Amino acid sequence: MIADSSGNRIRNNILTLASLALLAAFLWLAPKYLDGYKVRIINLIAINAILGLSLNLIYGMAGMFSLGHAGFMAIGAYVSALLILTPEQKSMMWILDPIAPWLMDLHAPFYASLLMAGILAAFFGWLISLPILRLGGDYLGIATLGFSEILRILIANLTSITNGPIGLKGIPAHTSLWVSYGCLLLFLAAVIRLMKSNFGNVIRAVRDDEIAAKTMGVNTFRTKVLAFTIGCFGAGVGGALMGNIITTIDSKMFTITQTYNILMIVVIGGLGSITGSILGSVIITTMLEWLRFVENPITIGAFRMDGKPGMRMVIFSLLLVAVIIFRREGIMGMREFSWDWVLSRPAAVRNRLASGGTPKGGD
Amino acid sequence: MRKLALAFLVCFLFAGGAFSADDVIKIGFYNCLTGQNAFGGQLELEGVQLAHKQFPEILGKKIEVVVIDNKSDKVEAANAVTRLIESDKVNVIIGTYASGLAIAGGEVAEVARVPMLGTSCTNPLVTQGKKYIFRTCFIDPLQGAGAAAYAYRDLGYKKAAILTDVVSDYAVGLAKFFKDNFAKLGGEIVSEMRYQSGDTDFTAQLTEIMSKKPDVVFLPAYFAEGAIILKQARELGAEFRFMGGDAMDNPEMVTLGGDAIEGFIYTGFAYAPDMPNMNDVAKKFTEDWYKEYKKDPNGNAALGYDSYILVLDAIRRAGSAEPEKIRDALEATKDVLTVTGTTTFDADHNPQKDIGILEIKGGKKVFVGTVVP
Repeated sequence: MIADSSGNRIRNNILTLASLALLAAFLWLAPKYLDGYKVRIINLIAINAILGLSLNLIYGMAGMFSLGHAGFMAIGAYVSALLILTPEQKSMMWILDPIAPWLMDLHAPFYASLLMAGILAAFFGWLISLPILRLGGDYLGIATLGFSEILRILIANLTSITNGPIGLKGIPAHTSLWVSYGCLLLFLAAVIRLMKSNFGNVIRAVRDDEIAAKTMGVNTFRTKVLAFTIGCFGAGVGGALMGNIITTIDSKMFTITQTYNILMIVVIGGLGSITGSILGSVIITTMLEWLRFVENPITIGAFRMDGKPGMRMVIFSLLLVAVIIFRREGIMGMREFSWDWVLSRPAAVRNRLASGGTPKGGD
Repeated sequence: MRKLALAFLVCFLFAGGAFSADDVIKIGFYNCLTGQNAFGGQLELEGVQLAHKQFPEILGKKIEVVVIDNKSDKVEAANAVTRLIESDKVNVIIGTYASGLAIAGGEVAEVARVPMLGTSCTNPLVTQGKKYIFRTCFIDPLQGAGAAAYAYRDLGYKKAAILTDVVSDYAVGLAKFFKDNFAKLGGEIVSEMRYQSGDTDFTAQLTEIMSKKPDVVFLPAYFAEGAIILKQARELGAEFRFMGGDAMDNPEMVTLGGDAIEGFIYTGFAYAPDMPNMNDVAKKFTEDWYKEYKKDPNGNAALGYDSYILVLDAIRRAGSAEPEKIRDALEATKDVLTVTGTTTFDADHNPQKDIGILEIKGGKKVFVGTVVP
């Protein structure tokens, strides 16, 4: 495929629109026909996809190993929650220290708070990226991890602003399917456009060989700062959505484990693949809940086995180990989903069958 | 036609569980069965299971307890409660250890209008402003006041220091309520030191506290860290006494702390397996517990058991397993005899309970008495 012919492009656009309509129909029907538990999982998939996508932009596409994602999520979650909570709720909640007076009457509607969450997370991302993006590789990972931990401890100790370790509760559950998938689609479209633009090529160039990119006249530092900031924006929005679905947040939610969860989505899906992050989110989020059945008592005929709590994580970890051993580049590798690829599948399979070859070693 | 009938029969057999669901009352139980709080959640589960074994039926219907793990994680806690309500269609929910998790789960239950009875979530925010959320344990302001009163009035301590885990909502809340009440009674707080869960070296804070020469150090920690702190204090030669809260009440504590925890005193739920003048419910609980599990019960086990008893009592009085009616009956709970004393819910759905004082003597937990703040 050298270049898309215009016929192909129109066909692809129609297919994209059709699948968007299908998604819309699904989102419209889901709350009517599925129970709240399933709707919640579907919702979490979108949030995790936003988080995965934003980390993938930083780590997979720009090649900056960042372990600070939970910190930026925390900024987003707290900013959004503090803006949405009403003064009555705030006056009831601060039982350790009185709330900071300027914070008391600060109030914004949900969408504005979501935007602010992203912007502030991006601002902090930009701010710390200036000193730490001069580091590379593992050192960057350690520096971002440090930042995230500092932030968590600050949140636990700035009691008059964050209510300390007690956290915030009673955040209205604004995150409906429309909101989370709307945010996901917007962010997804932005990332796709970005990666298809010349800036996308520059980002990839910096990742693959920074020195070569520099000699070509690319301002590598600026490129990395920009990619990092956009990634942090996504983390902030994702964190805010997370807070608005659980309706309560505290500093313990945003530990390194949270970052690992997102990292897992990115790595399983495929580093550098947008499609991979979405697939990874679907798989990890559903697997974790679906695997709950192994913890229930199992009855096979007269044989009865008591459920063992924790079994789920054992099996989940085994699956992860298997993926890493047999498919180290993740499910998608660096490839992306495209209609051309999907539509060429039947022909490819037919060719393979016609040539009489075994399926092994094809492609 | 015959094939069709056969198919129907097979379907019916397989779906047998679903068809008989009307004769079963489902109690959902979510708790920390794995993760950092598993030590408490497991004991509460065992308490509930013991009670379930003793009282498997109510209103002529079988009771089924649906157990779900929340991994000591907020997102999982909210998911677990959603699952209990939406997939398992439980009538009422029991759980959980750790207030932060109970708040997350409670928000879901409140919206779905299914009553939830918290086991050992002592933070006041759990039931604050909630119509469907109750709890079996007392709350931290009461406990903090009780500890302060006992230290100041009964033990005659005038100078206290506080060592708090700053990232634990439980520790920070309890420390504040102790501090406020101790100062109100006329005592003096000579030092306030902090640490973070996961720390292993507390000698710096302890040395600083020792230099201020307090009579007593209030330590609202979980038992694992608490035991380490007590050990290090004894190694440093600290002379003062330590006091703690209900989270120190775990059979493992004596094993972890060894000689260092001798003389340690803490507030807890008014139950210990060796307490004198036990009420009938507590007696039966203790006997059956030893028969069933062959290890010591503690406050959490008792609270799990009590939660089940309270739910059963509410269903009996409601005469129905409808969530709405159970809620109304729970709200009217009055003078129900439970292991941890008689239970009556106040307007905020918190029980007014005695606070037990327990002490470690000769490597064993001894029930000293109760205190009224």
